[in-house]
Amino acid sequence: VTYKWLSYTLGVHVNQAKQMLYEYVERKRKENSGAQLHVTYLVAGNLLQNGHVCHKVAVVREDKLEALKSKLSTIASVHVYSIQKALLKDSSPLYNTDYDIVKTNLQHCSKFSAICCAAAVPRTPPDAPRAPASARSPQRQRDPDAAGAVNGHGPPAAKPPPQQHKGIMGMFAAKAAAKPQDTHKEAKAEAKEAPGVSAASSKPPTKNNIMNNFFGKAAMNKLKVNSVPEQPKEEKEVVKPSAAVAEPDSSPNTVAEKAGKKTESARIQQKDKKSKTKRADRSDDEEERDPENVKKKRKRIKQLQSDSSDEEDVPPSPTPEEERAPSPAPVPALKAELEPASTEGSAGGRKRKRKRVLKSKMFIDEEEGCMGKTG
Amino acid sequence: MFSEQAAPTAQGLLAPPSAEPPTFPRVPVSGYSDCSQPFQLGERSFSRQYAHIYAVRLAGMRPGLEQRARSRWGSDIALRKLSELQAGEKCCVVGTLFKAMQLQPSILQEISEEHNLVPQPPLPKYIQPSDELILEDELQRIKLEGAIDVQRLVTGTILAVYGSEQEDGRFLVEDHCFADLPPPLPWNGPSSDRFVLLASGLGLGSVSGEALLSTQLLVDMVTGQLGAEGEQSCAAHIARVILAGNLLSQNTQSRDTINKAKYLTKKTQAASVEAVKMLDEILLQLCTSVPVDVMPGEFDPTNYTLPQQPLHRCMLPLASAYTTLRLVTNPYQANLDGVRFLGTSGQNISDIFKYSSMDDYLEILEWTLLAGHISPTAPDTLGCYPFYKSDPFILTECPHVYFCGNAPHFQSKLLQGKEGQRVLLVTVPDFSATQTACLVNLRDLTCQPITFSGFGADSED
Repeated sequence: VTYKWLSYTLGVHVNQAKQMLYEYVERKRKENSGAQLHVTYLVAGNLLQNGHVCHKVAVVREDKLEALKSKLSTIASVHVYSIQKALLKDSSPLYNTDYDIVKTNLQHCSKFSAICCAAAVPRTPPDAPRAPASARSPQRQRDPDAAGAVNGHGPPAAKPPPQQHKGIMGMFAAKAAAKPQDTHKEAKAEAKEAPGVSAASSKPPTKNNIMNNFFGKAAMNKLKVNSVPEQPKEEKEVVKPSAAVAEPDSSPNTVAEKAGKKTESARIQQKDKKSKTKRADRSDDEEERDPENVKKKRKRIKQLQSDSSDEEDVPPSPTPEEERAPSPAPVPALKAELEPASTEGSAGGRKRKRKRVLKSKMFIDEEEGCMGKTG
Repeated sequence: MFSEQAAPTAQGLLAPPSAEPPTFPRVPVSGYSDCSQPFQLGERSFSRQYAHIYAVRLAGMRPGLEQRARSRWGSDIALRKLSELQAGEKCCVVGTLFKAMQLQPSILQEISEEHNLVPQPPLPKYIQPSDELILEDELQRIKLEGAIDVQRLVTGTILAVYGSEQEDGRFLVEDHCFADLPPPLPWNGPSSDRFVLLASGLGLGSVSGEALLSTQLLVDMVTGQLGAEGEQSCAAHIARVILAGNLLSQNTQSRDTINKAKYLTKKTQAASVEAVKMLDEILLQLCTSVPVDVMPGEFDPTNYTLPQQPLHRCMLPLASAYTTLRLVTNPYQANLDGVRFLGTSGQNISDIFKYSSMDDYLEILEWTLLAGHISPTAPDTLGCYPFYKSDPFILTECPHVYFCGNAPHFQSKLLQGKEGQRVLLVTVPDFSATQTACLVNLRDLTCQPITFSGFGADSED
């Protein structure tokens, strides 16, 4: 038991702790002379050494106390340093006790000291700009539902569909939020998330892109108008944290449509890293799917994403999108800044051609997704 | 200093608990300004040759030396460049000294295949009787002989020699002089007792833990936990703590990762990681109570060449949160309460020690002050940044306290200069070896060593 340990444990000033130790020793010695208490003292004073006066501070055992005191020319202070039952061979236990107790109280190590320094104030943390970014990632990972709140930021026209897809968007948007912003970052994050969470988690981000693409192509004026400004927003505000807001807006739109397209997400995720055009193609593929597939895939998503609390929202939300699905434009959603509606017609034709091919691909994708299904 | 004030209440704490014990406020920091901007390197480019340093050094010190030479040998002496020398004419030449040493470790010799030499093991001193001195200026060089102490001088010193050229092409020296003490700074010291604690060579991370208790005692004393009330109130007068280098011990330098196979070292951490964590904790305890300046040293994780840049604050996350922590460069210069401090972590002094016959660290410290240059051996045998615009190691103003860290033992001396300079020279001992730190009183420029000790198995007092 050292004075410092006592001071921290009892929450008293160090000087009081020293005095307490002294009193304890005195009392114990008076009561029970058989008690074996070994005391160490701290002695400080002036010592004549090598020709100049040296100030010496030493921890000594009781038996050496008087010898050291006589050596010092002037004694500056003497007090009890520690008390222990056993005779100490060396001072390392004292050090260890102090070390441990200080370590557990690192933030308040000067609280009980005799000197207080007015200048010692902690600096204010400098990374305020990073707060939104960090807030975004936890939001992404832990709080998908929070993205629902983000949906409110979207353009007013997009409100009804986004709100419908709130549930899914909540699930996907948060994760998908970062994706269009920074493909690398997202790829990394998704790569982390994918193994960590599940395949489903990787799907939402990819689905986001797919959804974006889908919306870019789709002839849905409403959603298109909404998605188009959102996409440029997404692309422009890649690095800004506010982009996180924008993306969930678009992503919910796309996400809802892509609700059923989980299997492709895995593949698409990889391709997303490569090129957006490829992503667009994939999204085309995914968009080509029959509503049945969408429905079924949505179901799969529901099963896979057990953590999504918005499962009931899933079935109703994609249905409106399914109706709008038939006329997608084959333009990568992320890159298409302003998709004229005219491209939709041509895109639709292309889509149809692709449909056959894609269906087989979708077979493969679906099989890869371990949810074998006859397209 | 401490003891006299503290003595009356020395035994005060050998008593039952009293009323609320007093807390002493730390003396406030007033008038601190960091003057070590010349030592802070911004953009570093190593594409330049080191010859530029010598050129700048000579150009910078030449005017002062010429003035010194005139005042010493008469104002009518002829100041010549080497190229203008005429045989037999007594004149004065200002130039850079070069000492040709046979034992000096030379990389060219090491890799010379013809000789098949084993690399030379590090010696404590590389001097030999056969060393020669050569004076160089911008264009030529000439061998020196005569009344000049070859053993004592080191490469890179700028000096003025007075003598004449001989027939055989050597220069016979009759007298020589250095730049001498730089002009003094006005004295604005505090009127009351104010202390600065100098410590160096904490040596954390070493295998032996003997010094750890002493380090803890040091921290406790400075933060006011140790000692009776008198001593604590004295400790409250410690305005600043300067840690002069070698915070980590030499043991942390071993890099097994280079020598051993990767699979053996995969899970092991560098020893310096643990040591830095320990350092962070110690600094945190200090920072909550007193302003601390941390200088890097030879074994600390920063660049090797002088001037060493400050340690990065991301290594000390806990302590960096406090404004009282200041991470500073290796040659460190600052104004503390009107007193100018200048000091290094000891690499310059120990390097001169290796290449000169001077044995006493204090003597070497004094000699660098008289030579007007912190580290004359800098590019030659001590790593240095290739300066080309100006040499920041030239002493332009005389500091009030001039210290060097990691000396073998504590020494101090008050030097009085001809122009009224007063310099306190302090060699701060290596704490891990001697458990001694220095306390400098700013009021009267005195210095007192403080020793800490625990007790070991061989119970000595």
